[in-house]
Amino acid sequence: MTDEPTGGSTSRRKFLTAAGSAGALALAGCTQSGSGGDGGDGGDGSSLSGTIDIAGSSTVFPLATAMAERFQSPDSPSGHPEVNINIQSTGSGGGFANHFCPGRTDFNNASRPIQPEEEEACSENDITPVELTVATDALTVVVNNEADWIDCMTVEELRQIWSAEDPPTTWSEVNSDWPDQDIELYGPTDASGTYDYFIEAILGEEGPGHRQDYSATEQDRTIIQGVEGSENAIGYLGFAYYSQNTDRVKALGIDDGDGCVEPSLETARTGEYTPLSRPLFTYVKQSSLAEEHVAEFARFWLENATSQSIVADEVGYVPLNDEDQQATMDALESAIENASG
Amino acid sequence: MATERGTIESFGHVSRTAGTVFRYLLLAATLFGIVALTVLLIYVANDAIRPLTADPGWHLTFLLTLVLPTLAVGAYLFRTDPASFRFGGAIVGTLAVSTMFAGGVAMLFVDIVEPVTWFAYVLALCLALGGVVVIERLDRRLPFLVRFVAAGVIVLVSLLVVPGAVTSLPVYPSDGVLLTLSVGAPIALVVGRYVAAADGRRRRVAAVVATLVVVGLGAFVGPLVGVTPVPATVVLAVAVVPTGGYAIGRIRRNPERRAGLGLAAVILGGTVVGAVAVDALGFAGPQSWVDWGFLTSAHSGTAANAGLYPAIGGSILLMVTVAALSFPLGVGAAVYLEEYAPDNRLTRFIDVNISNLAGVPSVVYGLLGLGVFVTYLGQSTGTVLIGGATLALLILPIVIISAREALRSVPDSMRQASYGMGATRWQTIKNVVLPRAFPGILTGTILALGRAIGETAPLIMIGAPNVLFSLPTALSSKVSAMPLQVYAWASLFASEPFYQAAVPAGVVVLLIVLLSMNSIAIVLRNKYQSDQ
Repeated sequence: MTDEPTGGSTSRRKFLTAAGSAGALALAGCTQSGSGGDGGDGGDGSSLSGTIDIAGSSTVFPLATAMAERFQSPDSPSGHPEVNINIQSTGSGGGFANHFCPGRTDFNNASRPIQPEEEEACSENDITPVELTVATDALTVVVNNEADWIDCMTVEELRQIWSAEDPPTTWSEVNSDWPDQDIELYGPTDASGTYDYFIEAILGEEGPGHRQDYSATEQDRTIIQGVEGSENAIGYLGFAYYSQNTDRVKALGIDDGDGCVEPSLETARTGEYTPLSRPLFTYVKQSSLAEEHVAEFARFWLENATSQSIVADEVGYVPLNDEDQQATMDALESAIENASG
Repeated sequence: MATERGTIESFGHVSRTAGTVFRYLLLAATLFGIVALTVLLIYVANDAIRPLTADPGWHLTFLLTLVLPTLAVGAYLFRTDPASFRFGGAIVGTLAVSTMFAGGVAMLFVDIVEPVTWFAYVLALCLALGGVVVIERLDRRLPFLVRFVAAGVIVLVSLLVVPGAVTSLPVYPSDGVLLTLSVGAPIALVVGRYVAAADGRRRRVAAVVATLVVVGLGAFVGPLVGVTPVPATVVLAVAVVPTGGYAIGRIRRNPERRAGLGLAAVILGGTVVGAVAVDALGFAGPQSWVDWGFLTSAHSGTAANAGLYPAIGGSILLMVTVAALSFPLGVGAAVYLEEYAPDNRLTRFIDVNISNLAGVPSVVYGLLGLGVFVTYLGQSTGTVLIGGATLALLILPIVIISAREALRSVPDSMRQASYGMGATRWQTIKNVVLPRAFPGILTGTILALGRAIGETAPLIMIGAPNVLFSLPTALSSKVSAMPLQVYAWASLFASEPFYQAAVPAGVVVLLIVLLSMNSIAIVLRNKYQSDQ
């Protein structure tokens, strides 16, 4: 840059004048119209913009992420890249208590229905949750691959193992056919919706309660690792995580009185795999539905809730059937009307 | 003593075995951590970049065009002319780091701040500063308070009125032109200052114009040859001009180091020739996970498509916020404690506490951020402002300690000389102490920012989202960060593809950013030490 002509001041002045006028000319040619009126977020509906805050269940998290990814994708023609979606995995209860009911989020994912006290907390802040069923999940009970002495377990045996009342310490205490070895237990923490659901389905709400002398973790991966590491371990977790690690641990069939049923997408969809399959929800704040981008995202999610490729293949849950989808969509549409009306 | 008994004991033999064993044990202790970390990093880098998936022809081409010539020229220069060797290396290093920096800045202008908004604020700031300077020069007889109030009013009015006025204009110049003026002009002024200091004022105008012309190329010529003007302008202003300026300036001062240019030319030319050659010959490069797609796309459920873009942008915004908050607070505290504070119990108490605060675990700061900003002040969780404020609190003690260290290293004789010439304490600090300590303060701040950019725990505590699909656009937008995204991939999307693709790629990008920040700090420190 210091290689400029080193002439006297006259030539530099000329040069400057020339450069200046050339610059001014070029400048005049390089203008754009101001953003006085437009801005991309107009009401023409074709391009939505805004922010959507989502928190809640770690079980629904991968599903919400898959939906959000497609909704905002700039690559697809129907994508809305201007909509800024952020998703946080906080657990169903944590999401209601710390994010949804204080009014900080638009959606709260939940792996169980909202509880009355949570509804109360929300209504204190004038927040009306709208329940949307988005998929079906199956809980899976897993044991070590080497544990060839067990393939199936009755609900009663499962209840006995995890019950806080009189908890067995060895396998043979539960069933005399099983070895006289200490049981190692792995499961989700009590902040997890999976934990709540297990209590409801197996132990009973009024029952003895969940034993607490087990290795509790928020990460499903840790459960897989724990069970994989010990021949005498047993654990339970969501089917989605199990389905990605089928070779690392063995899933037990569950006998609810009608014989042994293996956990699979098929048996969960048909309702054979009882009592360990459950619906998954997302709750949307009704007042947020008045904003078009939130309503559009909720519609998008439900339209794709029957998709085999997203829900089952990518995330590992059981998609909705057409009837459930229609019922949920009707509920959503009337909530949108209430919100904007 | 021994002679009294009539015997002289020989000196005997002192075994050196124990000492040797001890020495090599210490060596092993020194190497243990380094070797373990190196093995891990090689492992991760191999997973992320996958050099073995490239064609053998690709490796051969680059070996011939880049590696061998660089080794030959580099070895020759290193033996005959080490100064030129360092100069050549410095050019390439400057270009690499500044290009990366330019990428970050370009990202800001493409997705976060519209060029016209930036231009409007730069203009407002210039007008405000101009007004203040005029007032200061106008009449020194005006009382201080009057000048102070007048300056304050000018700054406020300018910042409140000008941006709004500019952005509501019906027609304004194109983005490239705006950036040429608002990014290129300040850089041109800095270049001009350096040239004026080295070559005298006569060259200054030429340097300023040359800089503007180079930057303007991006805005005016870029569109004609099919290059998007905004990134082109930014890369020219932030990467090409500083590197070129550094090379030209250094050569003018030390023409004997000209050979260093050869080394730089061999490296850059070899890269270009190699790239053209593999393209022409059809050799496939490595199927690296760290590719353009990874750097520019958002998270995806399939590991191969997952990208780091929102997290990179989030990290940049967080760093800007952290720097803006912690630098003035930290340097202010350091100047007070070093230059003004009396040596009493209170000061010593504060001293001890700052040192202690530097050691408080980051998760505690996260809790502090959650408690103060979210619960007490009622801000929403996980925003740029809260994240930045929490991280700023986290590194504040480090900034204070390193700034104090830098201030302490200014010799007392310089202060005394300044007082001796009749300067007040404020003038001494402003004109003598701070300029002298500034590189040291900057080094400490950059190293502290390097710590902040790698923090995950505080961000989790303040409720930053695990997944984010677009860049934050305001201080109140939710923000993600690189370490947080890597953590989310490792924990919430726990599956083999994510472990093998997204996680190592994210770690490599994070490490490259960190290492280049640290290298800037180290270069500054070395320069500072050699200047003294």
